[in-house]
Amino acid sequence: MSSVAKSRKRESRIGLLFLSPWLLGLAIFTAYPIIASLYFSFTQYSGLSSPRWIGLENYARLFQDQLFWKSIYNTLYLAIIGIPLAQILSLLVALLLNTKVRFLSVFRTLYFLPSIVPAVATALLWKWFLNPQFGPINLLLERIGLPTPGWLTDPAWSKPALILTSVWGVGGAMVIYLAGLQNIPAELYEAAELDGAGRIARLFRITIPMLSPVILFNVVMGVISSFQSFTSVFIMTAGGPENSTLVYALSIYRNGFQFYRMGYASAMAWILLIITSIAVLFVFKFFGKYGYFGGAEK
Amino acid sequence: MKRVSVILIVVAFAAVITFGRTELSFWYAWGGDEGKALLNLVDEFNKSQDRIIVRPVFVPIGQGEKINTALAGSSTPDIVTIWDWMVVPLGENGALISLNDYLDSAGVTEEDFLPGAWTYGSYRGVKYGLPTTLNAYAFMWNKSLFKEVGLDPDRPPESIEELDRYAELLFRQDTRGNIRRIGFLPNISHIYFYVFGGQLWDQETEEITANHPGNIKALDWVASYYKKFDLQKIRVFQATWGEMASSYNPFYRGQLAIQEAGQWELLFIKQFAKPDFEYGVSPFPAPEGGREKVAYLNGSFWAIPKGSKYPDEAFEFLNWLTASHQSARFAAQLSNIPPKVEAINDPVFADNMPQNMEVYIDMLTNGYVYSFPTLPIGLFYMEELNQALQYVQSGAKTAERALNDVQEAVLRELKRYE
Repeated sequence: MSSVAKSRKRESRIGLLFLSPWLLGLAIFTAYPIIASLYFSFTQYSGLSSPRWIGLENYARLFQDQLFWKSIYNTLYLAIIGIPLAQILSLLVALLLNTKVRFLSVFRTLYFLPSIVPAVATALLWKWFLNPQFGPINLLLERIGLPTPGWLTDPAWSKPALILTSVWGVGGAMVIYLAGLQNIPAELYEAAELDGAGRIARLFRITIPMLSPVILFNVVMGVISSFQSFTSVFIMTAGGPENSTLVYALSIYRNGFQFYRMGYASAMAWILLIITSIAVLFVFKFFGKYGYFGGAEK
Repeated sequence: MKRVSVILIVVAFAAVITFGRTELSFWYAWGGDEGKALLNLVDEFNKSQDRIIVRPVFVPIGQGEKINTALAGSSTPDIVTIWDWMVVPLGENGALISLNDYLDSAGVTEEDFLPGAWTYGSYRGVKYGLPTTLNAYAFMWNKSLFKEVGLDPDRPPESIEELDRYAELLFRQDTRGNIRRIGFLPNISHIYFYVFGGQLWDQETEEITANHPGNIKALDWVASYYKKFDLQKIRVFQATWGEMASSYNPFYRGQLAIQEAGQWELLFIKQFAKPDFEYGVSPFPAPEGGREKVAYLNGSFWAIPKGSKYPDEAFEFLNWLTASHQSARFAAQLSNIPPKVEAINDPVFADNMPQNMEVYIDMLTNGYVYSFPTLPIGLFYMEELNQALQYVQSGAKTAERALNDVQEAVLRELKRYE
């Protein structure tokens, strides 16, 4: 073996050595539990004593469980309405904050701050905001003469209430869009202006296509996190009223810890994995067709 | 040389002192003053003998996430504090040891306990835990509000029909239709299952009886309150209620005229309500042919995990902790009720009882005592009942259909554990 090849081999061995703690951690704390939960999903398991193999029975029971379908409906509702809403709003805010206004950094900070408030604090705060009788939101709606919904107490309004709460945290996505906007070459806008393109055209023909990778990233992260939403629901509504906010993750938690059905909960977790993978695949396909990733090659 | 040998002797002495005693790890779940009361007891035990030293660790129970994980592994505490619904699932799955033999040799029998407290938490005769202290629930009303609507403040309703009438008299809403005061709202539905002559399970055969005719009648009656006073308006009103353990408690503020009160309310009212707050306590009113003096018991449990290396010593400590005198002291501090008869009569508890506690004691000693069945399926039965109530409240199912569904679901779930 030539000395170049030898040193390369040595380099990769050293690299592997440095990587090994992380790889070991990945194997023990991530890969093993994931594979174990796949096994448990085919068993009757209380989480304490030995699991008993029952094949596909958990999955069969799931498909007959009304609450399972309800939780899927609730979770999809929150995702399908919440994600586009969050992305549009954070993009809008990012566009606004990409202009040269006074106190720009103050505004950027103010819009970003809510997204770093801990989830529990946000949930408690919004539980008060949305109080139907003396929360600030309904007081405002009443003042301007609009109807005051029951928000978290009304099964018809509980999910919109949760979406409202999550929208408060658009600051996170906004910051990422800002970074993406800074990377759009100014010449494109100049050329477009010269050709007579108006603001709207520039937005839809330049800004959004050039932001495709960023939008893709944000949407995928949004899909994953909204399918796993748990904290705000756990604190604000505990799944009610009338199971209108029973989200998938809450149902897994209940089955695993309160009913000691760890096998059943594991099956639910794997179905979530499959659904999330399909959703993310769909997102990638969609962006593959309509997105523009040409900016990368330069 | 002399200095070295002196040091060696001191070190050896210290080692014997520390390592000579069996160390027990005790996971307890009370904070604040209640926690301090327990820690004092633990201290006393440690000082009273030199074979065992108990190390208390504060571990809030939550839904058992931390406890389940510890018990599934090999480094478990020696005594653990858990909710009642956790005792049987943990025990039946091999995470706790059975206490029957220990109790036998220690001479602790059913007669030592208040009615219903001995079988509470056991399943098929096996006791996997001992109750720490007990809560009982009674009918409590605001005397001033009774006076306001022209009712005799010292006379509680004596039948369900009277209760319904009182509830309507006490109801108030404002000009825009928002509820300002609720007379009465049944909250712990299963109390009324028993009041109406039904039952959650047959205690003798340990068979689930979710769809007992008494239960169906009771569920209909409970749901009728939510339909009568408008479910949505009630929810909105309940969202305005303040913290239970504060002066904003809706009962203390007159937003709720009658409540199902745990005995701790006797202490809380003194702490949080206005000094001129007048209230009355009595057993629950019953319908024709129903049950008088229904007493619902609940509480937390102490258990010994199977992974404990010193179960004998752990039980010795547990037996001491639950002995009448210690139990009386702990319960008095919490304003709870000790499970043993001798403890109720112990001056430390009896002389420090808040006013009106006699009503609760009377219900527990002379009434129909029940606790929520502790089954290997954890909270499943209770959750199914919650769902059933929601279906009946919203009109989606009749009480009969809802409870039949509960019966079926619970039986199916139980069969999986056979």
